[in-house]
Amino acid sequence: MTKVSIILPIYNVAQYLRECLDSVTRQTLHDIEIICVNDGSTDESLDIINEYAKKDDRIVVITGPNAGYGKAMNKGLDRATGEYVGIVEPDDYVSLTMYEDLYDVAVRNDLDLVKADFYRFSRNEKGDMNLSYVAIDSTKTRYHTLLHPCEDPSMIKFVMNTWSGIYRRDMLEQYHIRHHETPGASFQDNGFFFQTMIYAKRAMIIDRPYYRNRRDNPNSSVKNKEKVYCINVEYDYIRDILMQDEAVWNRFKVMFNWKKYHNCMFTISRIADEFKKEYVQRMSSEFRRAYSQGEFTKDDFTQLEWSRLSMIMEKPDEYYNQNVKNAAAAKKKKDPSSAQKELEAIKNSTTYKVGKAIMKVPCAVKRRLTRK
Amino acid sequence: MENPKISVIIPVYNVKAYLKQCITSVTGQSMREIEIICIDDGSTDGSVDILHELSAQDDRIRVIEQENKGAGAARNCGMRAAAGDFLIFLDSDDFFESDMLQKAYEKIEAYQADFVVFGSDQYYMDKDEYVRNPWVLQQKDIPPYMPFSHRELTDNVFKVFVGWAWDKLYRRSFVERYQLYFQEQRTTNDLLFVFSALVLAKRIAVVPEVLAHQRRGGTESLSVTREQSWFCFYDALTALRDRLVRENLYWELEQDYINYALHFSLWNLKTLASPTKELLQKKLCEEWFAALGISGKEKSYFYNQGEYQDYCDLIKGQKEWKQKR
Repeated sequence: MTKVSIILPIYNVAQYLRECLDSVTRQTLHDIEIICVNDGSTDESLDIINEYAKKDDRIVVITGPNAGYGKAMNKGLDRATGEYVGIVEPDDYVSLTMYEDLYDVAVRNDLDLVKADFYRFSRNEKGDMNLSYVAIDSTKTRYHTLLHPCEDPSMIKFVMNTWSGIYRRDMLEQYHIRHHETPGASFQDNGFFFQTMIYAKRAMIIDRPYYRNRRDNPNSSVKNKEKVYCINVEYDYIRDILMQDEAVWNRFKVMFNWKKYHNCMFTISRIADEFKKEYVQRMSSEFRRAYSQGEFTKDDFTQLEWSRLSMIMEKPDEYYNQNVKNAAAAKKKKDPSSAQKELEAIKNSTTYKVGKAIMKVPCAVKRRLTRK
Repeated sequence: MENPKISVIIPVYNVKAYLKQCITSVTGQSMREIEIICIDDGSTDGSVDILHELSAQDDRIRVIEQENKGAGAARNCGMRAAAGDFLIFLDSDDFFESDMLQKAYEKIEAYQADFVVFGSDQYYMDKDEYVRNPWVLQQKDIPPYMPFSHRELTDNVFKVFVGWAWDKLYRRSFVERYQLYFQEQRTTNDLLFVFSALVLAKRIAVVPEVLAHQRRGGTESLSVTREQSWFCFYDALTALRDRLVRENLYWELEQDYINYALHFSLWNLKTLASPTKELLQKKLCEEWFAALGISGKEKSYFYNQGEYQDYCDLIKGQKEWKQKR
């Protein structure tokens, strides 16, 4: 059997796709299949995939009209035949030994899932790369030990992602673990993440970074009304799955609300100003209801989190006026002139100049390599 | 009508005065691809003659006659005869906006919903007045996105919409999949159907506009004569609980259910005239409050402290009354 199936859900990523495919096809683990699911791209993405598929018969190409991230991922999962399954977003890339190392750990420990730390990176217009290391366990106490996610809701607190690890395919099939088939990219990884966590019996996390996650454009705000509530819709879907079993719901309901709280707070910051007030009001109703049903208590949150959440529940309009409206106004005032000044100050600092000098040669080499 | 999109099901019982207005506001709907199934439930006032007369003028109208068995049995009968993709159950003394079916249909198709709820108001004949009541559709407890399920409602799920059928359009395949039916009893025969659908639907949509007008203040209306059927609401509540248990939903809805059971018991008691009122009060205090799971719950278990106080007063009053005897 193929050791690892790697799924790439592809939608208009021609700009980044070669770098990604190079990093996957050059893996030191050879016994892999690479499932490229083209989700109706309108750029040259499909041409690039076909070009690579001609050179490498481990590449499987699935193509169809645009149906959203969830549907594309599910097509890939349905097609996968490997012992384990991994996911690579086609604007990211992975280091050469990622799947060899993860597969080795998974097999040696008979794991349902194994996950590793990763890097977030961005590039400026000049191509300079900025990397930041992300430890998926911020307490750094749980690496390299056998974990039991299905009995241990605290693992939901690990940094959420679906691509820094691999999953035993038997587990995915046994519990029908798939993505929510909502349009476009609508946080469908959250549902997949929750399912892998509530069903995995044996898991491990590794404190080495393999995956490189692109964060070039993190500030684009949501202006489309239909998209404002897509995180809520995803969490509705997750709750439906958790509530299929009373015991599972009782075990995970606190962490469900904790995770949802953080996602709602993130959403408030990224949606257009005109939607923020209604969003805070809806968040208030939802958490008031959950609180009245005993789904969480004060002790499940930090002091700061609880001071925000309790104000949102009790006085949503006041919270909006004090913490959201003013913050949005302040941000508008600050941009762009003062941000530009800050950037200039950083560029003039010695550490930046030294760092840039050190990185200049490797960056130039990398640019030349990737251009080829 | 061949291949109607919507089957309109109307039980008819002694409503001669309002029947024509009701039926013509259905035949006059902007949506034409409908069938209208009128089930005469053994009327004695000549309602059935009006139905036949109307049916002769519009071949979309079918008249079915049954001996008097109640509106629940009539609606089940209509459902069995229905051929449309969607079902709506209207009351024969109400009347409707001409775009009601069109708007409900557009919504249910747009969201591929299992059912859609639309806005309505109460028409008081004596004062010739239309009153919009927030409790028919609690907008503040409904998500700002569609479709949604009962789990997205942010208040007691049994109090966001009303437990009557006529302000909702149902997808027939959904009704058939879950084998939803009306209880064949004199009153509260729709609660089981409506609330079962509410908690079983994966996709619910809403049209907030007022599309239907419920006639109030007539002497013929059934709710005025509940003296003969004062126990029906209890049968509806227990049948609903049985269904919730069977669907493995009772564990998550128990608190909502018990709070609604208290609310509905109190409403039935308050709207009943003596001496049936005393009979019901005795039954509630001695048996039904316990059987419905209301007895023995902490004060904090109840969403509405006023209703909880009413319950305590009733229990206390019943005890004192007993001691006096």
